[in-house]
Amino acid sequence: MALSDSPSTTADSTPKIAVENVSNAYESGGESVQALSDVSFSVDDGEFCCVVGPSGCGKTTLLRTIAGLERPDSGSVLVDGEPVTGPGLDRGMVFQEYALFPWRTVRGNIRFGLDRPACGCSDCERRVQELVDLVGLDGFEDAYPKALSGGMKQRVGIARAIAPDPEILLMDEPFGSVDARTRDRLHAELLDIWAETDQSVVFVTHDIDEAVTLADKIVVMDSEPGTVRSTLSVDLSRPRDRTATSFVDYVAHIRDELGSPTETNC
Amino acid sequence: MSIQTDTGRHAESVWYASDLKRYLRGLGGLTVFLVVWWGGAIVTQPSYLIPTPTESAWAFLELFTTSTEIVVPVFGMNLVLPTGAAHLTETLFHYVPGLLVGAVCGIGLGLTMGWSGRLDDWLRPLIRILRPIPPLAWIVFAIVWFGIHHTGAAFIVFVGAFWINFYGAYGGVEGVDGELTDAAATLGVERDLSMLKLVALPNAAPQILTGFRTSIGRCWMIVVGAELFGAPGVGYEIINASNNLAMDTSVAYMLLISLAFLCMDVGFRLFERRLLAWR
Repeated sequence: MALSDSPSTTADSTPKIAVENVSNAYESGGESVQALSDVSFSVDDGEFCCVVGPSGCGKTTLLRTIAGLERPDSGSVLVDGEPVTGPGLDRGMVFQEYALFPWRTVRGNIRFGLDRPACGCSDCERRVQELVDLVGLDGFEDAYPKALSGGMKQRVGIARAIAPDPEILLMDEPFGSVDARTRDRLHAELLDIWAETDQSVVFVTHDIDEAVTLADKIVVMDSEPGTVRSTLSVDLSRPRDRTATSFVDYVAHIRDELGSPTETNC
Repeated sequence: MSIQTDTGRHAESVWYASDLKRYLRGLGGLTVFLVVWWGGAIVTQPSYLIPTPTESAWAFLELFTTSTEIVVPVFGMNLVLPTGAAHLTETLFHYVPGLLVGAVCGIGLGLTMGWSGRLDDWLRPLIRILRPIPPLAWIVFAIVWFGIHHTGAAFIVFVGAFWINFYGAYGGVEGVDGELTDAAATLGVERDLSMLKLVALPNAAPQILTGFRTSIGRCWMIVVGAELFGAPGVGYEIINASNNLAMDTSVAYMLLISLAFLCMDVGFRLFERRLLAWR
């Protein structure tokens, strides 16, 4: 089990994403709530990084800050060494509640990012069809989101996010609202897609099993205020067996880190 | 599989039965109304106070067996049409432009105000004051500015259509889900105008269309009100006929308005359903 505390140990090359001393507060009922306090970690190119922690630890705020949807009060987020100033097509995002455009079909949703700005791909129709096939939604191209199950909606969400071919994929508890069996299948599919696209992934979850199933690196966060408790690499070959001793050891270790023996769920 | 088809067929036949029952009840209600109307008309003296259903039906038929010449505004040419159609066309000459221009302006301002917090701050108090004024109250300005003819009546309809459509668009844009605009932002939507066009507008479409459909009905009320003051059209014909104590003709024109509204409403509902298939 390789544990490392410092985010900046990669000396030779700049990391894909560097979160440096990010602090962020928001107003809630006239009170200032510290969502993130001095958070630092980095994600290497092509790395699958899970951020795990109890709800209210600022995971979502952290992800939104990387996406450029929120500005940190202090500190900065660097992508390829450049500070993030706003959202961009280099960072695709998958939302917990899907955030699909209900007035667009599956095809139309996936197409959305390809049309902005003027289409960069040579054959958008084909690209959309490839993505539909990639996420296993052939036959549902012309369906509206209302007709899809949660798992299917999130497949559209993933296809839509990776359509403009971003280098970074940000996922905010994407499988939190789907049933356990569908989630297992989506995990496998996501890993396949990730292997195919070489993207760097930041995946936020409160589910430790999910984090150990997916991640190369896990950032364990603490709540109130949100801080990084520790960062660890997961050295297990994929596909991972949840009943294997090594897997269980990782889960137990993170559970200890979080200081809650049974329940980390909200 | 067979169970599924069985229940499907069963559900369908139940649907037919309940539908038939519904139509029969509706027919029953209409019949009762006609009987009460008829009885009331027979016992009421003097008889012109309430025309009987048959008198009214004859008067309605007469609207389409006689013809009337009307003047087409702007182009100034004359048009000969069956009387009912002629007066309905006169009404439409100010109803349609008033409704459309009012809807476009109302939706435009509603979208902009719902989207821009600053404009909202500027205009909100003004709108609070102007909104409660009934459109027909503007008739005094319609008269002194335009005279009570097509333009004046169109102006009144405009005011009515404007507010209803304004609130439809305003509410629709204001209620846009922040997650959808976030998603659009991460997918490369940068400018406000693109966000308005790609997210806020389609998101507000159901409310905008409901607003417009409401304004179709409301503007019929308003247009008849404006015509009672003297603008040409079916509303004027109602009061004109009643001045001659031809109440049956008044009823015929009332029925004509109802039919015109029904056609527009049904037509727009079909259009709406097609446009909002995603809902």
